Amino acid sequence: MNGAASGSLALRLAALAFIVVFVQIGAVSEVPVFGVNADLTSLLVAFVGLLCGSTVGAACGFAVGLLVDLALLQTLGLTSLIFTLVGYGCGRLRELRDPQATLTPLFVGAGASAFALIGYSLMEFMLGVDAPVSFELLRQIVLIVIVNSILALPLWALTRRVLEGALPEDPRRRRRRRTYTTGGLSPLSKA
Amino acid sequence: MLLVVLSLLLLTAYFGEAPDGRLHGIQRDFLTVVSPVQDGANKALKPVRDLFGWFGNTLHAKSELGQVLKQTDKLRGELVADQAEKRSYHQLISLFHLDELSVGDYRPVTATVVLKSPNIWYSTVGIDKGESAGVRLNDPVINAEGLVGKVAQVASDGALVDLITDSSMGVAARIGTSNATGLVQPKVGEPNDLLLQYLPANTQANAGEYVVTAGSVAPGESLYPPGLLIGQVTSVNEESAYKSVNVHPVANLHDVDIVQVLTAAAGSRASNLGRLAASLPAGQASNSGEQLASTQVGE
Repeated sequence: MNGAASGSLALRLAALAFIVVFVQIGAVSEVPVFGVNADLTSLLVAFVGLLCGSTVGAACGFAVGLLVDLALLQTLGLTSLIFTLVGYGCGRLRELRDPQATLTPLFVGAGASAFALIGYSLMEFMLGVDAPVSFELLRQIVLIVIVNSILALPLWALTRRVLEGALPEDPRRRRRRRTYTTGGLSPLSKA
Repeated sequence: MLLVVLSLLLLTAYFGEAPDGRLHGIQRDFLTVVSPVQDGANKALKPVRDLFGWFGNTLHAKSELGQVLKQTDKLRGELVADQAEKRSYHQLISLFHLDELSVGDYRPVTATVVLKSPNIWYSTVGIDKGESAGVRLNDPVINAEGLVGKVAQVASDGALVDLITDSSMGVAARIGTSNATGLVQPKVGEPNDLLLQYLPANTQANAGEYVVTAGSVAPGESLYPPGLLIGQVTSVNEESAYKSVNVHPVANLHDVDIVQVLTAAAGSRASNLGRLAASLPAGQASNSGEQLASTQVGE
């Protein structure tokens, strides 16, 4: 990936991160669905990892987490740590498995949301936040994961559309290449 | 790995420093810088928020509608019950005041109307007190507004009351403070109106004046205590030797729920008179005593 492409990607990622974080804070956090609020930021980090790989995913996770912590006056570094892991994990999934199913973003989004929420809760408990571990907490986590799953596919489409062209390696292009080179069914091979 | 370590370092440093430390300061500075942006975003996204809020509120309102309807039904039931109780309470209070005014010689027995004649003439009602409560034949029956009628039939735990608009009724009555006494009877052809007749020709009567029971004003006897409100004069007829006036009953006889039966103590004058009236042949029992009384007063 050349410098111009990586610069363009960084720019698009920054813009996307800012917009999603402010939409999250300004609108999504104030609109409860089923009594909970969706978390677009963890979905964004997961999708960036899924599209751009582990390094970019982890960096994006760190930046988005830092932005969230700064904007919401939360414990600095906490969300960064969790989102870094989310971005890295999703990036590794892409690098190792490269899932291509249509519903992959839905499952990845649900898994990333669950990981982020459970991780955040565990970290808060470890840091001494005095909150009871109750059925209500579990219910909230499950509901947020469900709501995030509903929003996963539209956000995936948006993320892919914004980052398309600046991605280090276009997944569709890669898929095409794999079909032609590994399957042995290329029309050229018959010729 | 580097980013994870960096995050942990940030976390540790943030936790380790005082609230006015450098990292907290950076956080505050960041907030100062992004506040206008956040404010702008907040305003720009308000329509989106409102839209989602509208959907949310609509769904919420829909889910609450059923509950509210159930609650409304329950409250409506309670309101109806309360209104009925309030009405009964007012009637009882009025009866209580009435006791203090003019029926001191009687022993009032409060009864509830349990059946009403369903026809338009509406001249009898059934009450839930009978002989066991001391109710006797021909006992006067009143309600908060005034005279209602008299007991026509008695059973052990119930009685039938002839209303003052019943054709068999006749009550010695006078107009306001006048001493001239006449007889109130139902008006022929208008079962819901009364006619006060056999008044002396020189009796002063004006529309709007009240007609009350004459009671024992004269040496003759009456079944009814004096001063009970019967009705209001609506017009005066002077075509005969006796003056008669049309009277509209003040008691809403279509809306009687609680009444008092004025029972007389055994051996009292009222009791004896009631027994005498009861012993008269059918058709005369109802108003003979009253006619006697009015005639004597007229003389």
